Amino acid sequence: MNGTADDTGTIGIIVTHGRLAEELLRTAELIIGTVKDCYAISGSDLCDEELVQRIRHIIVDSGRAHAVIFVDYFGGSCCINSARAIDGIRGVKVVSGVNLPLLLDFLTKQGKMGFEEMVRHLVSRGSESIKELDF
Amino acid sequence: MKASRSSISSTAGGCAGIAAGETAPTLQKEGYEAMITVLRIDDRLIHAQVVIGWGRIIKPDRIVIADDHVSANAWEKSLYMNSVSPDIKVSILSLADTVDQVRGGVFDREKVILLVRNPQNVLTLIDLGFEVDEVNVGGLHYGEGKEKLLDHLYVSKEERSALRELVKRGVTLEARALPGHEPVILNSRVV
Repeated sequence: MNGTADDTGTIGIIVTHGRLAEELLRTAELIIGTVKDCYAISGSDLCDEELVQRIRHIIVDSGRAHAVIFVDYFGGSCCINSARAIDGIRGVKVVSGVNLPLLLDFLTKQGKMGFEEMVRHLVSRGSESIKELDF
Repeated sequence: MKASRSSISSTAGGCAGIAAGETAPTLQKEGYEAMITVLRIDDRLIHAQVVIGWGRIIKPDRIVIADDHVSANAWEKSLYMNSVSPDIKVSILSLADTVDQVRGGVFDREKVILLVRNPQNVLTLIDLGFEVDEVNVGGLHYGEGKEKLLDHLYVSKEERSALRELVKRGVTLEARALPGHEPVILNSRVV
């Protein structure tokens, strides 16, 4: 898990089944180099309460105004527990269906747009990157 | 409710019928119309392993969450309701309402995955009149102070004693996370 405290900006938290979160982060680092302020959690081994607490701790300890939680499967336990974790916390959004293009945009376009706009951008970037090749 | 037309005992046969080779289960027992295919203990209730892992084998018409906490909490309810694709119906009911609706024939001619969060709730279903021969012990996750039974099963003292009570009542505890896994019978491990 990488991360540094700062009072500005947005942190990312990837919450997935298996080791997908760690590997997504590691793969992103292969492409863009060391990543800060993005955390990976393997949600499927933890009980619900533990997962919810872990997500909340990362958000609170970061001291940041905003966080985006990336989950792999809409409606899965990582998704449901992320929704539980952010209940009552402002400035945090959950985006499901995390993929590499979406994550790379999050990591490289920080500060170039506002939080809400960034979340909208990530959702469309992730969706648009899924297409049948027609060369 | 042994003689009633709907009972979880119809499930149990179905559940036992799912061989480790992921064959489709034999669902219906003569004389029973409700087709509760699997009664599963899983502290996550609806999640990917249930919807995809079991769903792709059983092809359920409906997933029922029998849970007094979730059924009484509108927000929690909507979390689970929205988490399943629209081709599978979802019912989120109290334990008592679950028994009433199964008895009332609401789920007749449907293939149903029935989920409870812990073995204590299976005991309550039995006390309310369900007949249970077999239960799939699917997922009880790690938590502090829990005892490990299997890789995917960690039980609190309360859960362990409820499992023991289920064994006393003649229920087969069939542990496996997914239909393709080799089932482990827990009965001798919890007494």
